Amino acid sequence: MDLKPATPNERRQYYREEWDVNDIPEFIRKTLTQREFGFDHMGRGPNDRYRVFQNTDYLRKFMRYRTPFAAYSSVAFYHKPRRRDGWIKAELVFDVDAKDIPIRSCGCENVCEICLNQAKDIVHGLIDTIRGDLGLSDIHVVYSGRGYHIRVLDDKVMGMDSDVRSQIVKYLVGSDVPRSEYSSHGMKYNLEHFTVPFGYPQVFTDRVKQALLNLNLDTEIDEVSKDIKKAVIKHRELLSEDQWGLFRKEIGPVRYARLVKGIASLNLTLVDAKVSIDLKRILRLPSSLHSGVSMKSTLIKNLETFDPFQDAVPKFVYERKD
Amino acid sequence: MVSISFLNPLSPEGKDIVRELGSFEGISDDIPELRRLVTRNPSQEIVDDKEIPSNYLELALKRIEWYIKKKHDREFNSRRYSFLSDYSITKYDVISFYLLCQAIGVKFGPNSRETRVMVEAQGDLIQERLGKLSVQESRLMVDQSLAMLLHDDMVHWTFFQELLSTRKIRLTELVLDNGELILNEEDFLHRFGSRIKHRNPDSMYQLLIGDELKELIMVKMIMQETEDYIKQVHEKARVMVEPNPILLELADEVAEVLAEPMQHYGYGSGRSGGPMKAGPLNPLAFPPCVKKALEGIKSGGRNDAIVLFMTPFVSYARLYPDVFRMNITKRVSDQDPQLEITENEVLPLIYEAAQRCVPPLFDDQPQEKVNINAKLGFGMHSTLKMEHEGETTWYTPMSCEKIKLHLPHLCRPDDVCKKIGNPLSYYNRRIWEVRNLDKEDSDSEDNQSSTDVNDIGNSIKNENKNSDDNNSVEG
Repeated sequence: MDLKPATPNERRQYYREEWDVNDIPEFIRKTLTQREFGFDHMGRGPNDRYRVFQNTDYLRKFMRYRTPFAAYSSVAFYHKPRRRDGWIKAELVFDVDAKDIPIRSCGCENVCEICLNQAKDIVHGLIDTIRGDLGLSDIHVVYSGRGYHIRVLDDKVMGMDSDVRSQIVKYLVGSDVPRSEYSSHGMKYNLEHFTVPFGYPQVFTDRVKQALLNLNLDTEIDEVSKDIKKAVIKHRELLSEDQWGLFRKEIGPVRYARLVKGIASLNLTLVDAKVSIDLKRILRLPSSLHSGVSMKSTLIKNLETFDPFQDAVPKFVYERKD
Repeated sequence: MVSISFLNPLSPEGKDIVRELGSFEGISDDIPELRRLVTRNPSQEIVDDKEIPSNYLELALKRIEWYIKKKHDREFNSRRYSFLSDYSITKYDVISFYLLCQAIGVKFGPNSRETRVMVEAQGDLIQERLGKLSVQESRLMVDQSLAMLLHDDMVHWTFFQELLSTRKIRLTELVLDNGELILNEEDFLHRFGSRIKHRNPDSMYQLLIGDELKELIMVKMIMQETEDYIKQVHEKARVMVEPNPILLELADEVAEVLAEPMQHYGYGSGRSGGPMKAGPLNPLAFPPCVKKALEGIKSGGRNDAIVLFMTPFVSYARLYPDVFRMNITKRVSDQDPQLEITENEVLPLIYEAAQRCVPPLFDDQPQEKVNINAKLGFGMHSTLKMEHEGETTWYTPMSCEKIKLHLPHLCRPDDVCKKIGNPLSYYNRRIWEVRNLDKEDSDSEDNQSSTDVNDIGNSIKNENKNSDDNNSVEG
């Protein structure tokens, strides 16, 4: 499918004929008055900001008549959203952009089905950890047009500051190599991350596995030579059966340590950390049009079956003549 | 039996001790019992009679002195402070802890270096004291204190919000399941036992959690409570009429103890010498991330790299390189009253980096010049004017941690990076080595050091070309 920008006429058609204000997820509609809205009218960035809507009807009218290039709402809730003042709390957000996945198997220029699927796999992994390890709930996934937004509205984390959020990001993406040396009663022991089947070492193992299975010779990893990459490609089948010990032996322990260190630092770009630690960010409004690629930002009910090329394509795209 | 308050003076037992004392009356009187306890300790080494603390205030100062000397004095002799780990002094130790917190809270407040030292000293002291106990005893103490601190058997990790926010603990260090922190062995075996293959679950528990993680959490929680207590004192003191002069005097003495290593051993970075003087920038000492930013940002993140990262770094490196050591907030004009250096050296270098971006930053976003002025503390205006100074704050340089998150593409650490946590510390460390290098160079040939701003672009290229040479000198 051709991902070309929407014309002003197509935007108008979308907001007047297809879009319904009730397509905006309930978690936004019911907190409408506490959020700041921002709009990009010309395709040059969201410079119409500090907008507030007292009810969904005002928002509906605004969208129908202004048919913006892009629409955003804040992840933060404010007492005075018009002045971005009186911060109450903010959703915890993870932005997985298919274009920015550090190790992409497709090598496409923009986004394609392959990297969007890869982004979906990453989202699955992150959600498992958010639920299983961090024990958080009230999690929503939105297709953003070029990837996915995970939005957590669990009150246990919504009041947390940027520093805690940055620690959460690091845990989720696996950006620190877990320690492998432990000591007990004066004796030293070695426990590689893959021998610990729970907690952070398990998260790290999952993320490294995902990276290694997608790696190719062109993937740039700090201090990892082409030889190591060749060895990874040759032996990575072992990882499908979780034969980590054998895999490490084949790569060699020193080279293996260098490899996981390199992947750990790449992992930091699995999500856009800036989005997660920003307490006042505005995020693309679910149900609005991503005019750059002509796709709908969509709240996902079932991530397993969601297919952006089926479920997020506005009608006007099918009516295009060329 | 060791009292919990010997580890945690803020525990109910500790508070009882303070309550018993009642008031400040007689606080500086001699306590013969304390002297007796110190001198009778068999492992105590006494060189001079004056070293024996004879009242609460002297004991308080000894606590700080122990920490500072241990950290900075190469000839530190722990046996001279043996009494600090002797639990028979608990009663006096608890009072001295409170006196210190109150003195520091009243005079310096929670964001001071004095508070940081007090909190770190308390953490180290707890570990030192636990180390002197038998394994059984120490385990019992840790379990008891933790039970008191955590209130509940099952704790959600979000309970540690403050410790995580201040980076006293890292989330990745905790063993979590369903949001709950796993500390106790039965719980560990119940949740993970069946998943563990080819290894003994008991010994895995000992390694991954065991005494170490429990001790870490206990120590860090007490450190946090100490910090919170100082904050409380500070807030109360602001509405109080007159703080007790004894506290103010003690605070001054604490400051003196802290100032000593600056004169004698060089504080913090481990190098010797006086305060870091501001001087012309030397690009040879720039850390890899700054060099990379100077080459120009070619992908996204141009704004952050120039406005949030380069502006604070370049301005502080040039005008106030020891901001972190001094820990005193200043304005640009405190260091550059006529703003000449700022206009002629600092801004040109930032603009140059902005110009090298692809596309050049100011071509499509000229408003970023205003943001640069704002980060220098001159408000949202297009020119630097003294009357606007203070409308915004002068941003301090981003830490390595923040750079990794905001600008991961810039972070390509080298060996020096491993030893520092902020690019400015890198610069301060390297500039000494580079200066010595320059000196050696000028001894052998008449070599002009490249500190002129206009040369910076060139010298970076030269340095890249000669990077092997530089490394060999560094090694």
